[in-house]
Amino acid sequence: MSHQTSTSSDTVVAGSFDRDLRRYLRGLGGLLVFLLVWWVGAMATQPSYLVPGPLESVRAFVDLFATSTAIVVPVLGSSPVLPTGLAHLAQTLFHYVPGLLLGAGCGISLGLAMGWKGALDDWLRPLVRVLRPIPPLAWVVFAIVWFGIHHTGAAFIVFVGAFWINFYGAYGGVEGVSNELTDAASTLGVERDLSMLKLVAIPSAAPQVLTGFRTSIGRCWMIVVGAELFGAPGVGYEIINAANNLAMATSVAYMFLISLAFLCTDVGFRLVEQRVLAWR
Amino acid sequence: MALSSDSPTDQESSEKISVRNVSRSYESTRALADVSFSVAEGEFCCVVGPSGCGKTTLLRTIAGLEAPNSGSVLVDGHPVTDPGIDRGMVFQEYALFPWRTVRGNIRFGLDRPACECSDCEARVRELIDLVGLDGFEDAYPKELSGGMKQRVGIARALAVDPETLLMDEPFASVDARTRDRLHAELLDIWTRTEQTIVFVTHDIDEAVTLADRVVVMDADPGTVQSIVTVDIDRPRQRTAQEFVEYVTRIRDELGSPHDACDGFSQGSC
Repeated sequence: MSHQTSTSSDTVVAGSFDRDLRRYLRGLGGLLVFLLVWWVGAMATQPSYLVPGPLESVRAFVDLFATSTAIVVPVLGSSPVLPTGLAHLAQTLFHYVPGLLLGAGCGISLGLAMGWKGALDDWLRPLVRVLRPIPPLAWVVFAIVWFGIHHTGAAFIVFVGAFWINFYGAYGGVEGVSNELTDAASTLGVERDLSMLKLVAIPSAAPQVLTGFRTSIGRCWMIVVGAELFGAPGVGYEIINAANNLAMATSVAYMFLISLAFLCTDVGFRLVEQRVLAWR
Repeated sequence: MALSSDSPTDQESSEKISVRNVSRSYESTRALADVSFSVAEGEFCCVVGPSGCGKTTLLRTIAGLEAPNSGSVLVDGHPVTDPGIDRGMVFQEYALFPWRTVRGNIRFGLDRPACECSDCEARVRELIDLVGLDGFEDAYPKELSGGMKQRVGIARALAVDPETLLMDEPFASVDARTRDRLHAELLDIWTRTEQTIVFVTHDIDEAVTLADRVVVMDADPGTVQSIVTVDIDRPRQRTAQEFVEYVTRIRDELGSPHDACDGFSQGSC
């Protein structure tokens, strides 16, 4: 397989390199124009806190790592001292990660079960129709009365967000399993329903399950910031906290930090996805 | 050379598959109406007929993937109720597991508890060798041509060593040259494994090239029109006088609605 492609790919690479370079240069150009507009806009606006300038924002971003802050690690109870930016990012991750993983785990499980078992689908479909449209942040009131708006409460809201996206990924994936493949498997000795799910339905649904999970990685960053605006500690809380002191450049610095964290998780997961779905 | 004999006593003694008065309807169409025939042990049986004559339904019923409305299918005298590894199936659109490599696809049936192979890895190598896929063990189906995919499909079905091989227009989607080669390879495999093969096709040339006996079906409702024993030594030449005679005879059997289709193009006739 690889030897088939290698001969032609050499010539293709040279052409695509030029095209890639042009694309990068254009992208860079777009960024520079944006920075210029931002810079001029910031200079022209008074009072200055309305639009903090790019230089000011970069300085605030650097400051996030020049100062340090102590945080409390939930469950472990230790309190390490970290650079301020990382400290607050870590606080966000303390509810983002468990919320995302638990929500994805539960959502995928229920999605697979409902997509695979018609009876379960009949039972739960109306309920899903009712609960699904509720925006995750609407659950913040219950997060507050049940858990208090701290790590657990914020994790709960992230959980709700991750749950539905992953649910639909898995549900659609299993529903789309081709009858031909299940027929082939049953002529090859797959008898039990559970084996069919494991050997045919889940691998066949994997692309949609993973797409669902990747979407939830992004969506949960939005949700987690929303949850923190209500007072859970983390990057989102720092955005509003800085703004309350009119330190808008610091708010922008935290916004950058979220963008960076999102980018890293997304790129990281894309790599995993490419590897797992090499067969596509 | 033909493995089956015309004498009824001989056939009954070695009857592998017996289709008895099978009827099957879907909402508005009668796919199969009172279809009966039998296939002898080790026989290569082709089923030809126009599209919509229920030949795929018939094959799926033998496989146990569909149940007849009435009548029954007996394999070794036992009625078929479910799919089983004694009946391997090869699908028209290959139905390979796209997430498994060539090796993984062939190995699929060997990993089932129902199959007891002492050295599965050796068996997989043997099959890859048999269907001529050396060097492609780790390729995914998307990297293979249609002919290669069907080789994997055949190897996968053969892996669990089924007594019967059911083939549903397996070479309909490969080009003519590859098809000729696959015909030769299939006959070679069949000679070596001594399996019973039921092969569904709409291509009369293909049926006469391969079969000991050809079950000719009529459409709407699907019925058995006639059964033709092909008594030509293999390998068969398509240009040979007797070959052409068999093809003509089967085309005549297929009846008047298809007279409009002339010449050597079978197509969907």
